[in-house]
Amino acid sequence: MDVLVPEVAIQERQKGMPHEDRGKTFRNGLIVAIAYYVGAEIAFLVGTLSDKIFAPFWPPNIVLFCALLLSFPRQWWIYILAAFPAHVAAELQVGMPIMQLLVAFATNCSVAVINAFLLQQLQFEQPWFGSIRKATTYVFIAAFVSPALCAFGGAFVQILGGGSLENYGLYWARWYASNALGSLALAPIVLICLEKLTWFSLTPALRGLEAMLIAAVLAITCIVAFKEGDTIASGYVPALLYLPLPIIVWAAVRFGATGASGVIMVISLVLIWRTLNGQNLFDVGDPEANVFAMQLFLIGLSSPILLLGAAIEETRHAETVTREREERMSVAAASSSVALWQYELATDTFWATDYCRTLFGLPSGVPSDLDRLLNRIHPNDFQTAQAAFKSAIARAVPFETEFRVQGHDEGYRWISVRAQPVIGNDGSPTAITGAFADSTSRKMAEAESDMQRQEIAHLMRVSMLGELSGGLAHELTQPLTAILSNAQAGKILLAGGKKNLAEIGNIFDDIITEDGRAGEVIHRLRGLLKKGEIKYEAVDMNELIASTLRLLHSELIDRRISINDEKNIDLPPAHGDPIQLQQVLLNLFMNAMDAMDGVPPAQRAISINTAATNEGGIEVRISDCGTGLPPAQEQSVFKPFFTTKKRGLGLGLAICASIMKLHGGSLSLQNNVSKGAMAIFRLPPPGP
Amino acid sequence: MREAGFTTFLVDDDPGVLRSITRLLNAAGYKTQSFSSPREFLSSHDPTVPGCAIIDLVMSEFDGLHLQQALIDSGSERPIIFLTGNGDISTSVTAMKAGAVDFLTKPVKREALFSAVVRAANVDAASRKKRKESKSIGDRLATLTHREREVLEFVIAGRLNKQIAASLGTVEKTVKVHRGRMMAKLGVRSVADLVRLADKAGIAPAHVLSE
Repeated sequence: MDVLVPEVAIQERQKGMPHEDRGKTFRNGLIVAIAYYVGAEIAFLVGTLSDKIFAPFWPPNIVLFCALLLSFPRQWWIYILAAFPAHVAAELQVGMPIMQLLVAFATNCSVAVINAFLLQQLQFEQPWFGSIRKATTYVFIAAFVSPALCAFGGAFVQILGGGSLENYGLYWARWYASNALGSLALAPIVLICLEKLTWFSLTPALRGLEAMLIAAVLAITCIVAFKEGDTIASGYVPALLYLPLPIIVWAAVRFGATGASGVIMVISLVLIWRTLNGQNLFDVGDPEANVFAMQLFLIGLSSPILLLGAAIEETRHAETVTREREERMSVAAASSSVALWQYELATDTFWATDYCRTLFGLPSGVPSDLDRLLNRIHPNDFQTAQAAFKSAIARAVPFETEFRVQGHDEGYRWISVRAQPVIGNDGSPTAITGAFADSTSRKMAEAESDMQRQEIAHLMRVSMLGELSGGLAHELTQPLTAILSNAQAGKILLAGGKKNLAEIGNIFDDIITEDGRAGEVIHRLRGLLKKGEIKYEAVDMNELIASTLRLLHSELIDRRISINDEKNIDLPPAHGDPIQLQQVLLNLFMNAMDAMDGVPPAQRAISINTAATNEGGIEVRISDCGTGLPPAQEQSVFKPFFTTKKRGLGLGLAICASIMKLHGGSLSLQNNVSKGAMAIFRLPPPGP
Repeated sequence: MREAGFTTFLVDDDPGVLRSITRLLNAAGYKTQSFSSPREFLSSHDPTVPGCAIIDLVMSEFDGLHLQQALIDSGSERPIIFLTGNGDISTSVTAMKAGAVDFLTKPVKREALFSAVVRAANVDAASRKKRKESKSIGDRLATLTHREREVLEFVIAGRLNKQIAASLGTVEKTVKVHRGRMMAKLGVRSVADLVRLADKAGIAPAHVLSE
């Protein structure tokens, strides 16, 4: 096969034309030759009176035109060559002189070539007459431009046959009318039939019946409208000419371009038959003029009918495309566990794809209206979800939310919804469209990883407290010592009688105070030791730092570390889980403490600085004067299992970073200019 | 057995603990002085007041071992009882080697505390008595003349008056007079008492060449 321009190759595939080898080309040529000859014979049979006048239309031209339109220009010569003997055989049969015969063939070829060439150039492709644009192009080229051009040559055929040069204009008009009518009445139905070769077999029985009904009604109508014997001169009511119109419209509406072109062909054939063989409906004098009048009538009738058929075809196609697209989207959405929905504001109607029912656990018969869907929502989530919907409807803003719904079985499933308003032509919202998606598995995975994260965080807290056990024990020992000593003193004083009562009262006060102190230590420890869900609340960061330092009090003393506290007393409250945040503080303090093991005791100090950020959040800086971070590893420290300590797991900072991320904040570490390192963490302002 | 004016000096930077132990000792009839800062204690310390110190081992300013060392450096022999929340062996050994009376773990029972205080009181009393004694001996020795001191050293070396006179190049009678005066000044009646006193005062007998 020759190298083809890609576009042409695509065209070829679309048309499915058998150009693949010489054998097929030869076969097609033969078919064209035979069809050409048969077409001519049919025309003679109908009675073209071709020896005297032009054929009302000339089927051979249509055969050649269709063959050329369906093939590549580089193969046209084959078909023209194939048509030539058929032409000669047919015309010699009716005794056409050689010269006239040749000119006739030249003009016939020229109209077919010009037609096919222009239409191919203007991308008149399958499906033929599928759109208004194509039908308009076809009518303009095949019924007007091309026959009008070729008629300049065609008119000479008549002159060569002995016609007078004075009648050139008349000949031109007749030649034009003949070819234009052929293009309108015959070519469309031929093209459509070639395209939809399997159309009839695929037609459902009912449609087939309807087509036959139209054909029958059309036949009756034609008999009534174009009744033999009636002429305008003999009192024929011209309005009867319009009788077939409803049938034509019926056919066009129900069967599109196919129906329209089919009806045109039938009416044309009936009228031509009638005009040539009986008394002429358009009886204006000589037969040639009668035929011409009939031709003009048919051209005038068929052009708009063809366009109407095309328009209907186009609309129907667009509808099909839309419906298919909707179906495809619906299927795609359902297969990806998504249900689509739309809420019309003006009509207060809710539409959703079928999968919606599955998602919300509704039986298949029940309509999925908004109230029913909302009622399936978990009672705990109902308020939030309803508020989200209502506010989205009221304010027409995009929204996203998640809620649980009662599933088919016992459990609940998570549904995430994402929606956005549809803005109408006037700029105001007309509807809200959105999608429901099953997010249960994601939620479960999230919960799983949450649990794992919490587990690890808890283990790290326990291990940190293990490291601090000595200091923590001391924190408990102090109040216990005070309590014991006070109690023992009280016992002694009690033996001394009533004079000591006042002091005994003081002792009780102190015992209560000290017990409270011990209780506080235990409370703090229990908070850090327990495995709880994350609970967000307002957190006073200064207080949290103070509380953490109290836990570390003994440890700091033991390690001779001093604390420089520069707290901002106007610090806004942070939003977070106090235990997790305390874990971060504890971890950062312990890192700072460990970093200063090699520093002389007098220089060991940790600086703490709290500040409000410009965004309304808070920032905490914890700075030590220890060894600092290893060079160029300020980021590596956050990687799991990275450690600089001899007995470190390397998880502390990774967990701190994940805790800060969970809180929407950040954690960074950097070396100080002078000595040691500084940890900075930020928390955003409490969300709405 | 407690000396008059015996005071327990309490040093602990935890006010609650300080107050409770003070209270316990007061209830038991001890005179107490409390300090929440080791520095404050050191600056106001009067070694002449009889008593003992009860010191917390872990304090934020400086720890108990430092305070002990500072007291020793200042020449005080104040007996020390350490209190600690979590005493480890090496710390307690260091403390005891430096002369601590006891090393008590918090929370401390009153029997343990009181017995430690009693022991400390005894140590304090003994050291005070010893110091007092050696001070009075020193005072008496200071009143001796050079010749009397020489005679003392010969006497505790077991020399006879005649031998001493020969060694000093004088007569026996003179030696007798010096010896009598020396004995009177030191307040001893027998040579045995004199020898014991000289021993306490660390006076070495005269080195005598054999004849």
